[in-house]
Amino acid sequence: MFRFFVYIILTGAGLTACSSVSTYRISSERIDVVSNGASPSSLDSLIQPYQDSVKNEMSEVLALADTNFFIIRKPSGNLNNWVADAIFVNQTRNVRLSEPTFCLLNTGGIRSTLNKGEITKGDIYKLMPFDNELVWVKLPIEVLKDIEDYLMTKGGEPISNATMKASNLEINGMRKESTHFWVITSDYLMNGGDNMRFFEKRVDVMYPQKLLRDALLEEAKNQGTLISVNENRMNF
Amino acid sequence: MKRRSFVQKGILLTGATIIAPSLIAQTSHEKKRKIKQLTILHTNDTHSTIEPFPANHSKFPGKGGVVNRFNLIQKIRSEEENVLLLDAGDIFQGTPYFNMFGGVIEMKAMTKMGYDAATMGNHDFDGGMDGFLKAKEYADFPFLCSNYDFSATILKNQTQDSLIKEIGGLKVGIFGIGVELKGLVPDDKFGETVYLDPITSANRVALELKKKGCDLIICLSHLGYQYESDKISDLKLAAATKNIHLIIGGHTHTFLEKPTEVKNSEGQIVLVNQVGWGGIHLGRIDFDIEMKRFNSKQVVEIQ
Repeated sequence: MFRFFVYIILTGAGLTACSSVSTYRISSERIDVVSNGASPSSLDSLIQPYQDSVKNEMSEVLALADTNFFIIRKPSGNLNNWVADAIFVNQTRNVRLSEPTFCLLNTGGIRSTLNKGEITKGDIYKLMPFDNELVWVKLPIEVLKDIEDYLMTKGGEPISNATMKASNLEINGMRKESTHFWVITSDYLMNGGDNMRFFEKRVDVMYPQKLLRDALLEEAKNQGTLISVNENRMNF
Repeated sequence: MKRRSFVQKGILLTGATIIAPSLIAQTSHEKKRKIKQLTILHTNDTHSTIEPFPANHSKFPGKGGVVNRFNLIQKIRSEEENVLLLDAGDIFQGTPYFNMFGGVIEMKAMTKMGYDAATMGNHDFDGGMDGFLKAKEYADFPFLCSNYDFSATILKNQTQDSLIKEIGGLKVGIFGIGVELKGLVPDDKFGETVYLDPITSANRVALELKKKGCDLIICLSHLGYQYESDKISDLKLAAATKNIHLIIGGHTHTFLEKPTEVKNSEGQIVLVNQVGWGGIHLGRIDFDIEMKRFNSKQVVEIQ
């Protein structure tokens, strides 16, 4: 617990004669919200039915994590990599890529850490609570520069099948003659979310009709033990 | 308990007449003539965290949860007469409770806890404005939005520009400032909502509240504490406005140990506070008010 004091003097309206002046002594405290041993209250009974439904729906164990997964913008944490890799693998498993393709997401969209231990369906919901859909966006090669600038300005975002080296985004499968590339991302980002304005220059979009969250649920199950990759993908 | 005096100097704030003369005569059993006391409790970015964080959570094991928060608030209410409970937005989104029930349980729990007011965060638009309205049916406290013009949307007349609470002999004015939604919230979820400049809006409503005789003016803000860019933040808002005494912030999930002091456009101090996210902390700010009388010709010494 922590307290401090500040004194504020308040004066009367318009500083007219005989204003009243009061002294405010202000103290503040940041209180930890933990159990204080109070007996069950009416709020417990209010949330109980909701809690039961959530438990029924969300407690299925999908996988194990043998370490904690964190988001780090730069050089990119194991959670950035896990999410981006899971989306990329899920989307490209049965696809033969003829053009360079990578996955780009946003750290702001990854809403929770994954904790060492059992990973439940509910944990994936907390990680990706949004009902955002997967999209494949085709962009002309010159837009690569915009994405590089964006990543540098933002200080890094989760990516898969590509690496930022200095100010260059190196996408696996990129050839000299490549004129376009594909980005696997969310409809939210494609539509300007997080100010990813470069998606406005898209020339084609494919809709796999799948939520990002559903892809993550599938991949968590596939992996059994979540794959922790501490690779640095934001080298700038 | 660790105590530290963090401000030596006082702050001169011009406001409406603070306390009726009749109150000045009151004395308490304390040596100082303590007249009124107000406790402000606040949260921000609770993000549908109904249950406490799990025991294996890497950062916040066992912390948070609406039941724990409720019990804590009840205890404080049993100790303090004048309590205001406020939230700075992003009540929604983050756990399956929101996916499954669309924010209803959050509103019911906050109502049970006795929230006096909240402002809307960007994630409170995640279920669309219709989703917000459906959940809001279960809230018996007002949402204060002073810089979103909802007049062309279904939220027209569903939020308030400001709120005046008369509590413990004080008139407390409260209003809400929201973050720019474009680029943050999908366009179809905020529709025809018009975003108005935070500084202009805050100055407008704070002046209105002052003219209505408010002694203390509080801004619930979802702008975010601070940015590296030029983007408007609580610190910038505090510095560029006047007549605001306290900004209770949100959005950036900033864990402040204590409020930050910022000088406003008239050189007076504004306090800016924010307590992280997920209901891990409850912010508490106590105002103890003592009365003195001065003739306006007198120089008020600020010590």
